Amino acid sequence: MGVKVSVTKEYRSRNKKGSSEDVFSLDATFETGDELVVLFGRSGSGKTTTLRCIAGLETPESGSIVVNDQTYFDSSSGVNLQPQYRRPGYVFQNYALFPHMDVRKNIIYGLKGWDKEKKEERMFEMLRLLHIEGLEDRYPSQLSGGQKQRVALARALAPNPGILLLDEPFSALDMVVRMRLRERIKAIQNELGIPVLFITHSPEEAFSLADRVIVLHNGKVHQTGSPRDVFYSPVDRNVAELVGVSNIFDNGKVVERSPVGTVVEGRGLQFITSSSVDASENVSCGIRPENVHLKPYDENLLSGNGNVFAGNVINVTDKGSSKIMAVELDGSDFILLSEVPTRLSGEIDFSRVIVEISPDDVLVFE
Amino acid sequence: MLEDAWIPLLITLKVAVLSTAFVAVLGILISYALARREFRGKWLADIIVTLPLVLPPTVTGYLLVFLLGKNGIIGQTIFELTGWSLLFTWHAAVIAAFVVSLPLMVKTTASAISAVDRELEYAAYTLGHSELETMLFVTLPLAKKGILAGIVLSFARAVGEFGATLMVAGNIPGKTNTMSLSIYTAFQSGNDALANILVITLVVVSLLSMALTARFVDRWSV
Repeated sequence: MGVKVSVTKEYRSRNKKGSSEDVFSLDATFETGDELVVLFGRSGSGKTTTLRCIAGLETPESGSIVVNDQTYFDSSSGVNLQPQYRRPGYVFQNYALFPHMDVRKNIIYGLKGWDKEKKEERMFEMLRLLHIEGLEDRYPSQLSGGQKQRVALARALAPNPGILLLDEPFSALDMVVRMRLRERIKAIQNELGIPVLFITHSPEEAFSLADRVIVLHNGKVHQTGSPRDVFYSPVDRNVAELVGVSNIFDNGKVVERSPVGTVVEGRGLQFITSSSVDASENVSCGIRPENVHLKPYDENLLSGNGNVFAGNVINVTDKGSSKIMAVELDGSDFILLSEVPTRLSGEIDFSRVIVEISPDDVLVFE
Repeated sequence: MLEDAWIPLLITLKVAVLSTAFVAVLGILISYALARREFRGKWLADIIVTLPLVLPPTVTGYLLVFLLGKNGIIGQTIFELTGWSLLFTWHAAVIAAFVVSLPLMVKTTASAISAVDRELEYAAYTLGHSELETMLFVTLPLAKKGILAGIVLSFARAVGEFGATLMVAGNIPGKTNTMSLSIYTAFQSGNDALANILVITLVVVSLLSMALTARFVDRWSV
């Protein structure tokens, strides 16, 4: 069981100015099992179009979609099931609760053909599952954002769908509610054992939620893998930027290969990396900000092995639980961003610092 | 005298209620098609439905005579099949009222349907409901204010219809002399007393129907 998707489609996306539209071509192929899959990418990357194609709300130009061994769409044999026959559990970005029905009716609406008592029983079961008992007589306009989201989930899950599709379901919710609902989604997926496809552009959400991450960029699947794979071994520059590798330099040149690692020269500095480097020129490297370690300035440390540099902190951004420090390295125009947990940042003198980066954390990609 | 006012009122109500009933049902279907479906010749359908809104009613009436008369395409077919002539009957008055008030219904209803969030319809589809079920239980209930406004406007337009009715149904006493036509006749013949009664009756009926619908709209709004 699971999902097999291979589709192409022209799609439009509002550009940043909001007025005109950009045309992209989606060409996405991936396969997943009964797991929690996060479709991850920027807005306009084709995530929503992909999800809508699976639900049958949009028709691909060509390709095939197979869910739980049932063919939903196949351009070569002309199969295209209507959404009514696919019946996915679909949670829309704006919730799409029926404003003229109370919570009870919203949830029961998907239970076409059930006995009246069964409907009622199932409705209460769903309210319990999502911890929203007592809301059954409220109208959507009387619910908070988090409650609406839970009702939307309850409605989607009530008819026992074979697949659950969620389109950026938590984007309008505050942090605490988000964290709670993430935990709920994960628990529900574990319990039901159905494929769950979840769209997000938040790296944090992708990392904390996914069994598998599919990274989309400009309509193409760039990488598929566990969150760890994607976040710590991005295959290319686009994925690296998406997953938050903020310190990237291009046009690196391999100057030395040794059993300890490969030395890449770029931006006037030499970095040693334990990643394998196939090319010898035009190498791109990146370092996650949390892997750039800062220490109080001490001349003796500079003679050590590995990636040790001296630099000056030129800017600090406080994110609450951590601080982002911009460090200008000596002898280079490269400004490294370092994320330091707030509880450790007190030890650092904010002007002159030593930067240490483990060779394991210098990522290399195309 | 009382009969001179009573009969035109009954004729007017009969014509307006019937035409509004047809306008409501057909108008909703046409509006849904225009707002939600893509089909060939959609722009043409839109123009044909809207045309009576911009044409002078006498011109609409003339075109109807052209279609419904014994030599007209529709009129001839009906005559040959049933031996029945449509023109100068109260049925013709219903058709005239229908044609001139349909655009008011369609314009209001189509924009109300367009304003319904499509995601709600898609949600209903993913929950297993057909397009017809979705239209009946999601789209139309959410567009009901616009639909009701369209019905009220259409009814008012049907009650006030003059030009097209005169062309296709004439002004036959006891058969097709609606309130509007009777007011004109009474005024022309110097029967001011009758004209006054008719005008007051028409004003009262119009105000009453508006007040009633206002109450309905209030009760229906969520």
